[in-house]
Amino acid sequence: MTKFRTLWWLEYRRSRVWAAALLGSLVFWAWGLEQVPYAMPEERFGIRAGLLGADAIVGVVVLAFMIGRVRSETRQGQYQILLLTPPSGYLHILARFAFALSVGIVYAVAIGALLWWAAARAGLHLDPASAAQLLLVCPLYGAGIAMAPLFAWTLLLMVLASAYRISGTAWIPGTVMVVATPFILRFLGERLSYVLYTLPGWRLFANLEAVLAKAKVEGTSEALHAGIVLPQEPLWGMLALAVAMLVLAGRIWQEVEA
Amino acid sequence: MTEAFLIVVRILLVCLLGYWGFRLWGGTRSWTSRAVSGLCIVVLVWQVVGGRF
Repeated sequence: MTKFRTLWWLEYRRSRVWAAALLGSLVFWAWGLEQVPYAMPEERFGIRAGLLGADAIVGVVVLAFMIGRVRSETRQGQYQILLLTPPSGYLHILARFAFALSVGIVYAVAIGALLWWAAARAGLHLDPASAAQLLLVCPLYGAGIAMAPLFAWTLLLMVLASAYRISGTAWIPGTVMVVATPFILRFLGERLSYVLYTLPGWRLFANLEAVLAKAKVEGTSEALHAGIVLPQEPLWGMLALAVAMLVLAGRIWQEVEA
Repeated sequence: MTEAFLIVVRILLVCLLGYWGFRLWGGTRSWTSRAVSGLCIVVLVWQVVGGRF
């Protein structure tokens, strides 16, 4: 545990500027949301939701770059200097992953809060259960389904490329993995689609119909009125994939750097 | 004509992937790295030979 805390602290020291800049950028996005000029509340809400979606993508990409700075650091020999008896590779990977995921979850919750604010400004006043789902369930689901596998994939990619740096062929595993990933994802996605909704889904925003009626919003899809049902299977599948990639990355680190 | 061209492209891609596989096998002493890069090479060869692209 002490080793993990040391690595977490190291990670914090190394990445705090990235994390602070990313979280600080939310102020800019909030200011941008306030500037949306359209008169109709529905249009304003639509544009604001779109901006927040773009914001979320930018944040995940920035965090992926943050977590991927493995190769340059191992080159500079920081671990040998700071940790004379290095912990296992799994702990290195876990600390890096956990720090980035924590920042990502805070970022996603803040985006959920901004979306809540934008909805309230459009006259969509959510009940406490729906607000909690928007602030906690949606960000955590998004973190599990997108952030965790992407960060684990980035770590595996960089550690794999790093394993070939002595032979000078690091670009080959990098290229091969980047090109092969869409095919592997398509294969896994097809398998996941076969079992979709086998387990009971999670119903969110069950009172959406009442909220929409109260705000006098028309022209929305009938399917949305009973709320949104999130399937469990993609979450568990992507989390299992993330764990598998983290184990592989830790194992490679162990074999190469230890 | 198009089919013959695609066959030549596929053969060249398989040769390139085979060469990369050889380089990846000998480029590290980590067996897990060999396994991961080998899996990626196999997926790509599978796509080149029998995939939809």
